[in-house]
Amino acid sequence: MKKIERKDFLKISGGALAGGLTGWVFSGAPFLGFQMSVEWTQDQQVVPKGLEKFVSAANDACPFGCNVRVRKIGERALQLQSDKGLCPSCQTSLQLLYHPERIKSPLKRTGAKGSGKFEPVSWDQALKDISTRLNSLLSEGKGSTIAAINKNESLSSIMMDQFVSTAGSKNVYYEAGLKSLETPVLNGYIDYDFNKADYILSFGARLIEGWGNISDVRQSYVNWKERGVKLVHADTISTRTASAADRWLPLKPGTEAVLAFGIANYLITSKRLNSSGAEFGRWAQMIINNYPVSKVASVTGLGEDQIKETAEEFYKAKNPVAIAGKGGIGTSASSAEILGVYCLNSLVKTKAVEIKRNSAISYNAEFSGLDAFIKDGAFNMLFLNNSNPVYKSVFGDELKKKMENAFVVSLNPIMNDSAAFADYILPSMTYFESGSSDNKPVVKSFEESKDARDIIITLAKMIDKTKNIFPFESGLKANTLAGRETATNGSFSYNTDKVKESIETLEKNIAQNNEFPLTLIPMEIPMVGDGDGLAFPYVHKTIDPSHYYKEKLLVQVNRETGKKYGLSENKSIVLQSARGKIGKVYVHLTDTVAPDTIAIPLGFGHESYTRYGNKKGVNPKKIMSSEIDPLTGRADWWSTRVKIG
Amino acid sequence: MTVKDVAMKRRWGMAIDLDKCTGCGQCAIACSQENNMPIFEDDSDVPKRVAFLELMKVTNDRDAKFPDVRAAFIPKMCQMCEGNDPKNPDPPCVSVCPVVATDVGDDGVVSQIWSRCIGCRYCQAACPYEARVFNWWKPKYEGNFKNSLNSDVSVASRGTIVKCTFCSHRWKQARDESVANGNLDINAPVYKTACQEACPVGAIVFGDLDDPKSEVAKLVASDKALRLTNSIDDLPEDKRKAFLKIKQFPNPKVYYLTSQKWLRDMMRFEKNS
Amino acid sequence: MIEFIKNFYNDTSKNMKIALAILLTLVVIFGIFAIQILGWGLGYTDMDNNFAWGAWIIGDLGLVALGGGAFTTGYFLYIFRVDRLKPIINSTVLIGFLCYLFTFVFLLFDLGQPIRAWFGFAYPNWGKGVYPASMLTEVFFCLSLYFCILLVELVPTILEHKVLIKNKVIKAIAHYMHLLMWTMAAGGTFLSFFHQGSLGGGMWGVLYGKAVWYSPYFFYLAVVAAMAGGTSFMVMVPYIAGKLMKKEYVPMETFQTLTRISGTIFIGYFIFRLFDLYKAITYYAPMSGREFFDMWGGYYGVWMLVLELILCVVAIVLLNPGKFRNQEKFMVIGASSGIIAIVTSKLSVLLHGFSAPNFPWKGFTSYMPTIAEWGITFGAFATMILIYMIFVKWFPLFPHLEKDEHN
Repeated sequence: MKKIERKDFLKISGGALAGGLTGWVFSGAPFLGFQMSVEWTQDQQVVPKGLEKFVSAANDACPFGCNVRVRKIGERALQLQSDKGLCPSCQTSLQLLYHPERIKSPLKRTGAKGSGKFEPVSWDQALKDISTRLNSLLSEGKGSTIAAINKNESLSSIMMDQFVSTAGSKNVYYEAGLKSLETPVLNGYIDYDFNKADYILSFGARLIEGWGNISDVRQSYVNWKERGVKLVHADTISTRTASAADRWLPLKPGTEAVLAFGIANYLITSKRLNSSGAEFGRWAQMIINNYPVSKVASVTGLGEDQIKETAEEFYKAKNPVAIAGKGGIGTSASSAEILGVYCLNSLVKTKAVEIKRNSAISYNAEFSGLDAFIKDGAFNMLFLNNSNPVYKSVFGDELKKKMENAFVVSLNPIMNDSAAFADYILPSMTYFESGSSDNKPVVKSFEESKDARDIIITLAKMIDKTKNIFPFESGLKANTLAGRETATNGSFSYNTDKVKESIETLEKNIAQNNEFPLTLIPMEIPMVGDGDGLAFPYVHKTIDPSHYYKEKLLVQVNRETGKKYGLSENKSIVLQSARGKIGKVYVHLTDTVAPDTIAIPLGFGHESYTRYGNKKGVNPKKIMSSEIDPLTGRADWWSTRVKIG
Repeated sequence: MTVKDVAMKRRWGMAIDLDKCTGCGQCAIACSQENNMPIFEDDSDVPKRVAFLELMKVTNDRDAKFPDVRAAFIPKMCQMCEGNDPKNPDPPCVSVCPVVATDVGDDGVVSQIWSRCIGCRYCQAACPYEARVFNWWKPKYEGNFKNSLNSDVSVASRGTIVKCTFCSHRWKQARDESVANGNLDINAPVYKTACQEACPVGAIVFGDLDDPKSEVAKLVASDKALRLTNSIDDLPEDKRKAFLKIKQFPNPKVYYLTSQKWLRDMMRFEKNS
Repeated sequence: MIEFIKNFYNDTSKNMKIALAILLTLVVIFGIFAIQILGWGLGYTDMDNNFAWGAWIIGDLGLVALGGGAFTTGYFLYIFRVDRLKPIINSTVLIGFLCYLFTFVFLLFDLGQPIRAWFGFAYPNWGKGVYPASMLTEVFFCLSLYFCILLVELVPTILEHKVLIKNKVIKAIAHYMHLLMWTMAAGGTFLSFFHQGSLGGGMWGVLYGKAVWYSPYFFYLAVVAAMAGGTSFMVMVPYIAGKLMKKEYVPMETFQTLTRISGTIFIGYFIFRLFDLYKAITYYAPMSGREFFDMWGGYYGVWMLVLELILCVVAIVLLNPGKFRNQEKFMVIGASSGIIAIVTSKLSVLLHGFSAPNFPWKGFTSYMPTIAEWGITFGAFATMILIYMIFVKWFPLFPHLEKDEHN
C-alpha cells in the first residue's frame, strides 16, 4: 500500500472536515441546536394536552347563585363560562382552586397569634381538640360564650348559625352585607324589584360596581338602559356608577342621609305623603323641623332646585326606587340613612320595594351588629366561616386582641388576616371540588381539604347538644336548609329616640372641623373589591396605574384641594384621623373627587393574605370612623375626618 | 367541495359599548385565564405588565373641572388594524417585523407567533395603541397555577412579544369541529372570544364585520361608534379621502360605542394639551 | 508572554496606567452585566412596553451614524481621489469597523431572544421584488454585508503589521487589496446609503401609526446626518488620540480637509432638517391628528430640538469659512459641536419619540437606564477605545507616520 504523506493526510482530513461541516450546517442541525438551546435555557413549558370536556358547576357558597360551565382538559379546569355573567368572586375561583398557598391540611398554631407559625395536624386531631374544648365549655354552662362570624348568607353559614345557636349562643354575625345591616333597622332586608322600577335614586349605592346582588344588578342595569329607566346617583366621587348615571348629584362627603331627609321633607310637606312604620309622625316632625330643603342644599352642596327637581321626578315615577347602602362590595350605612331612604320608598308607595325576611336566618344575635360585638362583646370560642373581620372591620385591631385570649377556629381555603390569629385552621374546599346539590365535583379535592358544610356536620356530631341538628350526612343536601322569604312591610319603627344618636354622629362628622379639615371616603377598584380579590395574581393585572402603581397606593385628591394643601402628583402623604395614622399613600390629582375629600381604595394593606396580597398599600379601616350605630350595631365607616399628617 | 375552494369571507371585528361597560374587569380575568398570562407576585409595574387586555381608566380631567368630570373604563386589546384597504390589510406592526413573527391573516386577524419572535420590539414601537406586550421577565406559573394553563395557547419564553389574537385558538377549534362534523365551508364556523364570553353586561360584541346580519356589523354602523384616538373618522369626507390617498392609517377593527360627548372628546387629541 | 507584559507595564506612563485600569474595569463590568442580561433577561433594564427601546438603541443609532464617516471618507478618497485623506483612512476604517461591530453587540443585548437572531436571515420579511417589507430586514442584511466590507477593508491594516508583512504572500495580498480597495469603498457607499437611511431614519419614518416619527424625509435625512456627523467624528478620534499621546498621528491638513467636507455637508443637513421640520409641523403631524409641538413635553421637550439646531449652526459657522476652520481650537469646537448635534438628534428621536403620549389621557413618560444598561453601554465604549489603542500601538494605523519615522 502506498504510504500516505503527511501533506496528503492533512489535505484529505482537511477536505473531510470541510465536507462534514458543510453537510452538518446544511442539514439544519446547528439551527435545530440553536432552537433546542433556546428551549432548554428558557425552561419552556409544554402544557399537557388531553380530552376536552365541559361540565356544569354551581357555587352553593355564592350568595348570588352563580352557575358556571367549566372547560376541562383532562383533569384540569381551565376556563369558566356563564350565561348570566359571574360575580367577581366566582370569576377568580379558578385562581383560588389552584392557588399555590391553598391550605393542604388542618393547621394548628405553634407560635404566637399572628406570627404565622402553624403545623399540619390530622383532621382527627384537630376536630378532637376542638370538640373537647367545646364540650367542656358547654358542660361549664358557658355555651353563650361561643360565637361565629360568617362571610355571607350561604348554606354553610346557615348551618354554622344553627350549630352555634343550638350550642347555646346567640352570637352569630354576618360580615358587612346589606341584609345584616338593614334587618336590625327595618325588621327585615330590602328587596328591590329592579326590573319593575322606572326611576332609580341611589344614595351612594355604587350599583354597577359590586353593590348588592352583583349579578342581578348588572342584568338590571342593561335592562334599565333598554327600557330608558333614569338613574340618578348621589355620591361624592364620580365613580363609574356616577358617570353612567343619567344624573350625578355631587354631594359633600357623608351627607347622603341629609339629602334623603331633604327629599323626604319636600315630599311630606308639599305632597302631603305618609309612610308606613311606627313613629312616622315623630320622624316626619323631626325631618320637617331640622331639614328644610334650604339647609339640606347648603349641607350637601347641591342646589335647592336640583333637590326639588329630583324629588319631583321621584314622586312622578310610577315605581321609583330609593336605594341606601353606600359603596360597592363593601357597603356601609347608618340607621338614620337606611330609615331616611326607605322612608322615600314608603312615602310614594312604590311597588318595586319590599322588606323581607328569610326564615333560615334571624339576625337575632346578642348585639345587633358585628362591630358592637367586637367592641363590647366577649367570647371564649370563635368560629370564622371564611370571614375576615380582622381586615374588614374598623375594629380589626381590637378583635385581634380578643382573639388572642380566645380559642379560634377558622374555615377557609387560603390564609387570611383573621385566620392568622386562629388556633386551628380547617382547610375548606372550593365548589369545584365539593360539587353542589345538582352537580358532581369538577375536580378531585385538594389534599385534605373538606367542604365547609361537611366540616360543620362532623363537628356537630361530636358535640352532645348538637348531635342531631342536621338530618343529612352530606353537606350537599344542605340546600334543604335554605329558608323562605316573606315580606314584612311596615312592621318596623322609625325608632326616633335611638336614631337621634345616629343623626348626631352624622352631623358631627359633616360639621366644620379645623383639626381634621378633610374627609376620607372609600372607593373600590374593580375585582379588588373590599379586599378579597388581592390574593389572585390575575386581579393584579386589572388594576389601573392611577390606583396602585409600582407598589404605591394612590389616593385621589381634587386638584383645587391639591393646590390648597400643596399636594403635587405622586407626593407621599400620611393620613391621620382621630383614631390614628396610616401611610404612606401617594397623591393622584383628579377632579372626579369633590373638594376637601380624599378617596382611598379599599382592599389593600393585608397583613396575611398570601404573597400576592401582602405588603401592598395600607388598610384605611384602621383609621376610619368607628362610632357604633345604635340600631345597626355597626360603625358607619364611610366618611372619616382626616388631616394630612 | 374542498376547503380550498371557498374563499375566506370573514372579517373579524369587535364593538365595545362603553356606556354598558361597568369596568368590572372580568374580561381581563377571563383573557388572562384563557391565554396563560404569566403570574408575578407584584404586577404593579404597569409598563412592564404582561396582559393582553388592558382596562384603561379614562377621565376627562383634561377638559373639565369638578363636578363635570366623569370616569369610564376602556378595555383595550390589539385593535386588529387593517390599514386603508381591507382587501390588502397592512397593519402598522406587521410590515416591520424582521422575522415575520406577526402576520395578518385573510380573516383580518393579526397573528403573533411567539416562538418565532426574536424580541426586537420593533412592532411594539410601531403600535399606536400600546397593545403589544413584551415578556421582560421569564413567565412564571407558581405551583398549582400550572394546572389551569390552556393547552391551546403556547407558553411564551422571556424576551418575546405577545398580544391578543382575538382568541384565534378558539377560531381554530371551531373550524376543526366544523370539519369534523362534515361542514367544509370555512365561512360557517363562528366562535366567541374569552372576553366577550365573560362580560356580564354584554358590552363586548365580537363577530364578522362583513356579515350584515351580525350584531357587530350593525353596531359599528351606528353613530355611537368610533375608534380609539382616531385621526380621520371625524374629518369631513373630502379631507379624509385626500389623506387616504397619500398615507396609510391604522384603521382598527375594534370599535367603541359611546353616547357620551365627553368620552368622544377624550378619544381625540386636543390642541395645546 | 510574561516578559512582554512586564515590559509593557514598565514602559507605560502613570496616566496611561490609570486610563487602562479604568477601561479594563469598565470591560469587566460589561462582562458582569452581559451575563446578567443574557442570562436573566431584559427585565433588568428600564425599558418597558411604552418605552420599548433605550440606551442600547441610542448607542446603535449613534454608532451607526458616526460610523458613517467611514464610508464617506472612503468615498472621497477612492472615488473623488482626495489624496489628502490618505493618512486618516486606516483609522476611519478601523473606527467604522468598531462602530458596526459594537452595533451588533448592542443589538445582541437588545434582542429578547438573541439566540434566535439568525431568524432575521432565515425568515426575512421581504415585500414585493427587492424591497424589504421591514426596515429591520433591510438593516440585518445591509449591515451584515457592510460589516463584511469593513472587515475586508481592515484586513490590509492587520496584514501590514511589521511581523506579518515580512511574509511574501501576505505582502502580495495586502498590495492587491490596496489596489482594489475602491471597489470596497464603492460597495460600502452603496450599502451605506441604504442602511444609514434605514437604521437612522427609515425605521422610524415608516411607522405610520406613530405621528411622532412618521415622515418620508427621515430616511434621507439620516444619510446626510451620518455623512456630516461621521466625518467630524473621524477627525476627532485620531485628534484626541494624538493630543493624549503627544504625537501627530494625522497631519493637520488632513483634518482640515475632512472637516471642510463635514462642514459643507452640515449646511445641507441643516437646510434639509429645517425643511423636514416645516413639513412635519404643517403637514405630517396634523394629518395624524396631532399638533407637532404638543408632542414635545415631559423631560425631553423642545429644548432638545433647539439644542440640535444651535449646535448645527455652530458647526456650520466654525467649519466652513477657512478663517475659523484653519484655527485648531475652532476646528475642534466646530467638529465636536457637529458630532453632538447629530447625537442630540438621535437622542431626541428615541427619547422624545417614545415619551410622547399615545392616548389623550396619558402623559409624557420618561426613561432612566439602569446600572445594567449603563454598564453595558460604557463597557462597550471602553472596549472600543481599548481596541483602537491596541491598533494605534501595534498596527500601522497611520502608515505615513511609520514612513516618516523610518526616514
